[in-house]
Amino acid sequence: MKINIRSREGQKRRLTQSTMLIMLIVMLALVATIVNPKFLRIVNIINIFQQISVLGIVACGVGMLLVSGQIDISVGPQVSLMGIILAMIIQKIGGLPADSPHAWLAPFAIPMAIVVSFVVGFLLGLINGITVIKSRVTSFIITLGFGSVYKGAALLISGGASYMLFGRFELLGRGRILNFIPIAILFFIGVVIVTHIVLKFLRYGRFLYAIGGNRKAAYVSGINTDRITLTAYVIVGLLDALAALILISRVGSALAVTGDSYSLDSLASVIVGGVAITGGKGNALSFFLGVVLIGLLDNALIIMNVNPYMRDVVIGIIIIAAVTISNYTGERS
Amino acid sequence: MKEQCVKTTNILEAVQVSKSYPGVQALDAVDFDLRYGEVQALVGQNGAGKSTFIEIIAGSIQPDSGNIFLDGQEYTHFDPSTSIELGIQTVHQENQLVEELSVAENIYLYDLPKTRFGFVKLATCIDTADRLLVELGIDIKSGKKLNDLTPVQKKLISVAKAFSHRAKILILDEPTAALDRHGKNVLFDIVRKYTEKGLSVIYISHHIGEIFEICDRVTIFKDGKKINTHTVNETDMNTIVREMIGKKSASIFSRSAVQAAGLEGNILEMIDYSRQGAVDHVSFTVQKGEIFGIGGLVGSGRTELARMMFGLDERDSGRLMYCGRDITPTSPNDAIRKGIGLLTEDRKDDGLIIIRPVFENISMVRFAKSQGAFMNLSKERDETGDISKALNVKTPSISQMVINLSGGNQQKVVLAKWLFAESEILIFDEPTVGIDVGSKTEIYGLMDDLAKEGKIIIMISSDNPELISVCDRVGIMRFGKLVTVLKGDQITEENMLKYSLGVGEKVSEED
Repeated sequence: MKINIRSREGQKRRLTQSTMLIMLIVMLALVATIVNPKFLRIVNIINIFQQISVLGIVACGVGMLLVSGQIDISVGPQVSLMGIILAMIIQKIGGLPADSPHAWLAPFAIPMAIVVSFVVGFLLGLINGITVIKSRVTSFIITLGFGSVYKGAALLISGGASYMLFGRFELLGRGRILNFIPIAILFFIGVVIVTHIVLKFLRYGRFLYAIGGNRKAAYVSGINTDRITLTAYVIVGLLDALAALILISRVGSALAVTGDSYSLDSLASVIVGGVAITGGKGNALSFFLGVVLIGLLDNALIIMNVNPYMRDVVIGIIIIAAVTISNYTGERS
Repeated sequence: MKEQCVKTTNILEAVQVSKSYPGVQALDAVDFDLRYGEVQALVGQNGAGKSTFIEIIAGSIQPDSGNIFLDGQEYTHFDPSTSIELGIQTVHQENQLVEELSVAENIYLYDLPKTRFGFVKLATCIDTADRLLVELGIDIKSGKKLNDLTPVQKKLISVAKAFSHRAKILILDEPTAALDRHGKNVLFDIVRKYTEKGLSVIYISHHIGEIFEICDRVTIFKDGKKINTHTVNETDMNTIVREMIGKKSASIFSRSAVQAAGLEGNILEMIDYSRQGAVDHVSFTVQKGEIFGIGGLVGSGRTELARMMFGLDERDSGRLMYCGRDITPTSPNDAIRKGIGLLTEDRKDDGLIIIRPVFENISMVRFAKSQGAFMNLSKERDETGDISKALNVKTPSISQMVINLSGGNQQKVVLAKWLFAESEILIFDEPTVGIDVGSKTEIYGLMDDLAKEGKIIIMISSDNPELISVCDRVGIMRFGKLVTVLKGDQITEENMLKYSLGVGEKVSEED
């Protein structure tokens, strides 16, 4: 009998976690619309989704990693580093608009930048993963350290300068299908769907939950915990590369700090979405809703004419509130 | 003459002390008295109530009823600091020392000499500690860091710590488990010297032989009750062991007829498994259809052996042969591919993912074993549902999180996991700990069925009656060695306990 009652409660809670988020999103949208009716226009909605695409892609990686009980707070500097590298390649090889130093090479600039981005993303993920596994230190500390390393590397490479693309690489970030739906949104939705498939239908996804739920039990059950963890870090690196490509393409230039805010924002999104910081819980829908909420909040603050510097304050409070509320309702522990 | 007189009056008296926990009567109206200057041994099997009793004396547990008198005064405040105040000191089985501090600081941890400004006067502290150690005959410089000491030295420091306060009653819980021969002599000298000065000692040990070396009287506990108290000179080992066992307990489970004969020859051979300090050259064989039990005291190397067999822990030597093939696993994953399953000692620690649903837990090992990227979810649901029904796992749905199941049902989920992975060799490490009686019987029944199907079953247990009723043969481990394998009529509680404790063996076995 007792078991029965508990089970119903459990299911009810899980329902409220997602519905609560949806309700919150609707409420926020409502308030924003009342303050500024422009908010609900389709152009603005598409604009919001385009804005959150990059964050969404990064958050899917961070979310999967968090499901497996690991964290990566170096994702922001990773995006920055890859962004600066690819912008430099495009500018140096593609040349300035006026004179092209390697005219014959210029057409290869963009393909090369794309390939290099993914290679670097793969390597950064590999470095993070191997260090976390081999050092046996909490991933928070390791990725905190590497975050600093990547940030410094981006500054060193760029010398602190800004690199312009001069409109050379606009398709990914600014292009629209049928002049209407931004390509970036398609990538974002695609990544969410793939994340869903991985977590729900692949053995690999199941192992992520197992490791996050109880690493020791997963190992005794024959799961190669180290390999699964390493792969998760590499996936994060590759998604960061994709995010960097879209981001730089949209912005049209790169600085050594362009992507830094994604560390906090991506973590905030998945936590607000309801992923347990201790691992073993969460799904693609929760990542998606978390990202939408954060994106909406950004946009709503702007549209409601709130001081932009308030943004970080609000996001910080939301993280703390989300974790505290779900801690009290017992969803995470 | 004076000494004799002192030894007849009581410093501690417990009258009708009882303590119960949900489902367990840990202590049942226990009377106990301790005289001035005596060493009294407290013995009993696992779960006899010794620990509960000494924790009550040490003030860390409140009794449900009963009175305790210290020096004739009723003792009412049960908390550790009061009991230390009153002169009761406990040396726990596990060291409770701080590795990063010096020996001196450890000894005086709770009242370090301080200057006016609250700084520790380390020099004074080391001085006092050195004097104490000399007095106790412990040859360790107290300026040393605890990190630099051997386990034996650390144990002696725990003993010295008990003497940093004025102690009237000293409780020693398995003190010799961590001591070598020399350390034991040092300890026994201390005990002899101070009991002459009036110190009283409660001595808990699984080494029955030691009782005759150092103790004046011995009290036997069984199932929360005091059975008897003897003057050591007037009793012998066999009497003590018999009283520890008590009346023959009724068989808790009766196995169906012994396995079919046709399965002979299909055997699992464990050859020379060893790891320094844990397992000492263990070899045995198990036939298909047989349930092989491993008994012995907690800490005798049983769990270590199981984990080594499963490739979970390192080993210095050892091979595992099955039907003539070498199947020595190199990792859990390898062990699983070779058909071995391990139901670990602590379900929640490394057996189950309690925040995930039942069906995911059941299918985990099979997926770890299988190839291919995608899972067939509907097949998984059907099959895990079938197996959880077959094992009678009581859960409203297989999507229920394991954390919401009772202990017995959780254990069935662990078993389901290994059966679903088609394991041929199953190692059960303490499968019925913390499980209600009904589920216990069900688990025995399942083990019996599996043996009949021709699986090889190894069962580690501290519950001797359980081993007697379930197993065909029982190996007993002691200090990492497999000291004997009992079969048929030899499997009695008395034999098992004697071999576990080393009673009747040559004294040289002690080291």
